[in-house]
Amino acid sequence: MTAVREAIGLPVVFLTVLLLGGIRIGDSIVLVEPSVFALVLGLLLLRVLVQSGALAPERLMSPSRSALANLNGFVVLVSLWAAAGQTIALLIPESGLPRLIANVFFLVLLLNTAAAAPDRLRLLRSLTVTFGAAFIVKFVVLYELSAPGTGRLKRVLQAMLEGITLGVLTQDVPHRATGYLALFTVALFLVGLVVLPHRPRHPASKSKELRGPIYRIEL
Amino acid sequence: MGNGQNRTSGGRAGPRADNTNRDMRETTTRAAGLGLAVVYGTFIGWLYTRQPQTIAEVTGGLSAAIGAYRIDEQGFADGLRFFRNDQFAEARTAFARADPAVRDARTQFYVAYSYYREGWGRLYHDDRLYAEGLAALNRAVALAPGGRLVVDDPNLRIHTAEELKAELEAGLRVDTSDFNPMRLFRERK
Repeated sequence: MTAVREAIGLPVVFLTVLLLGGIRIGDSIVLVEPSVFALVLGLLLLRVLVQSGALAPERLMSPSRSALANLNGFVVLVSLWAAAGQTIALLIPESGLPRLIANVFFLVLLLNTAAAAPDRLRLLRSLTVTFGAAFIVKFVVLYELSAPGTGRLKRVLQAMLEGITLGVLTQDVPHRATGYLALFTVALFLVGLVVLPHRPRHPASKSKELRGPIYRIEL
Repeated sequence: MGNGQNRTSGGRAGPRADNTNRDMRETTTRAAGLGLAVVYGTFIGWLYTRQPQTIAEVTGGLSAAIGAYRIDEQGFADGLRFFRNDQFAEARTAFARADPAVRDARTQFYVAYSYYREGWGRLYHDDRLYAEGLAALNRAVALAPGGRLVVDDPNLRIHTAEELKAELEAGLRVDTSDFNPMRLFRERK
């Protein structure tokens, strides 16, 4: 990894994620910091990244590196943690039952991923799918359900839904720009994860994958 | 032979010099990156703390941080003129032009005072305007050095933030004095 990427590129990417991920555009612009729980989830995500080899901390901080290089590595790790917490906080709904469910969902998912111990590629694919799904649930499904209805049928359905769920599903609907910004932020975070210094793939596992799966025919 | 020696020593020094140059470039890049990350991180922390709403507030806040923020004196003078003519909405617009970043304690004091005067009534006070006034006054106090704010304007009857705050808070509070008929003879400050 080049010094430019480590010292400038990665911190800028992750700090930008931290900044953009907190922006909520409504009647006024509010910057929301990640909750403590989101930061804990961010820490779990970091652990999974290290476990899978998507992040090689020894390539960022080690006794063989200079003090300045270690400081750069430390900045990358801290900014990655903050960005991970902020991205998860961004994807968790703002209030009500969906918020609680999403918190539990992310916790279980990260613990499950740690237990499954996937390799780098599988983890990155899995995170892309998970973050994409969470984005759709929050910014498409929930906001569409909560947005003020324009037609009579939609208003009736919304009233019924609110009655059935006792109003625990509906969310405050932000400005449309928040969704675009969130999409960009999540994409930027995933790009940051891809360019992190990672462990090279084990040659044995590589050759096994190249050979393809082994099928056993039972006679 | 001498040339050959020179060539040989030059050939040995070349890669070493290249390595030194590369090391220096890397050190410079790393130091610059560290500085950039610290500055950017501090800026983000500042944004989260201050919650600016406009670009003017961002630039004003940053220039205030390095002591370079100045209000528009013409806008302030216009605001003061409107304020003295009891044209409070116009005064606030002019004050907003004078202090777009909301970083000047004295201007915010006048904004708060304009809300007080506009919301003041002999029979009742306008709670919404008083609440706006209190918010502006809190901003002014937060901006004043040491939280002490005194405005020496002979046209005002309230000169300190503490007095104005007491007036605004009393106006927002409902107590027995609200039913005192003598309040009809009170005067606006």
